[in-house]
Amino acid sequence: MKHILVVDDAATVRLYHRNILESAGYEVDEAVNGIEAMEKALQTPFDLYVVDINMPKLDGYGFLREIRSQDITQVPAIMVSTEAESNDRQRAYRSGANLYLIKPVKPEGLLTYIRLLLGVSTHIRPHLSNDKAIDR
Amino acid sequence: MPIIKQQSPQLINIDERQRPRDFNGLVAELEADDSTARRWAARDLAEFPESVEVLVRRLKYEGDPSVRETILTTLIRLGNPATMTELVECLRSEDAALRNEVIEAMKELPDEVAPIMSELLADHDPDVRIFAVNILESLCHPQVEEWLIKVIEQDPHVNVCATALDLLGEVGTTASRLGLEQLKARFAEEPYIGFAADLAIKRIDES
Repeated sequence: MKHILVVDDAATVRLYHRNILESAGYEVDEAVNGIEAMEKALQTPFDLYVVDINMPKLDGYGFLREIRSQDITQVPAIMVSTEAESNDRQRAYRSGANLYLIKPVKPEGLLTYIRLLLGVSTHIRPHLSNDKAIDR
Repeated sequence: MPIIKQQSPQLINIDERQRPRDFNGLVAELEADDSTARRWAARDLAEFPESVEVLVRRLKYEGDPSVRETILTTLIRLGNPATMTELVECLRSEDAALRNEVIEAMKELPDEVAPIMSELLADHDPDVRIFAVNILESLCHPQVEEWLIKVIEQDPHVNVCATALDLLGEVGTTASRLGLEQLKARFAEEPYIGFAADLAIKRIDES
């Protein structure tokens, strides 16, 4: 079973994502900010991250930059944000996101992208780079 | 090889604070290479209400977390209208970390934030409206629910409403119920709004 970490400071958003992902057969863990996500990422080999941008302590950009720079993991990461500006999108990709989605996320769309990213990661994970990211 | 006795950090602190603590001296010291000196300068500038602008300017590029924390603490202590003006401008920054720090600082200033909250919630930029709702999250003020209800009833942007909805799921009372039902109807095509509104209504009904 694929294991996904949902990182968001809003409890309702985490529960929403958990319900969607668990109903599709994924195992889900949660973190309330980038710091907690880092701690969990160091302990658990997740298959994918779903990460909010605006969080206290360490935001989504910071979390992704940390895990990418420390080479903890190169597994796919979806950044989910309320911010639709193109510079936010570019910044997310520069931080290490493989996909940038605008909230509110629709269940079918999220699951489709996750299946795609997990499929891609199975074959080309070591070479997956930001400029090969999938945009919606 | 001679043993070089190192100066203790405490001695450095005392030396730094023995320098003149006038406004201009502190402003100059806020640009010092030594982070300890900058931290002391940021702390002592709390005695000068006119220091808000220079503190916020430094905050925008200060790299040392402890100095950033001290600057924000000083801004909270100053807590004057100039502080509010500068902090609101920071909410428009591209720097997510700065925005988050400012949101946390503004939560500490309920009496100063309250008079400008309606203005923030009516800002032309939906991101600023979202950050305003974020400030309400732990703002100890009796109008919090009233502001949130107004957001879910009137704001045209789904993510501003969703952010308010998340918070009403925690603090909402029966006064929010009608607004939540109306919000569900207004954004019927958005599964998240339906999910979060149902959750909030369930919690209200059970409490």
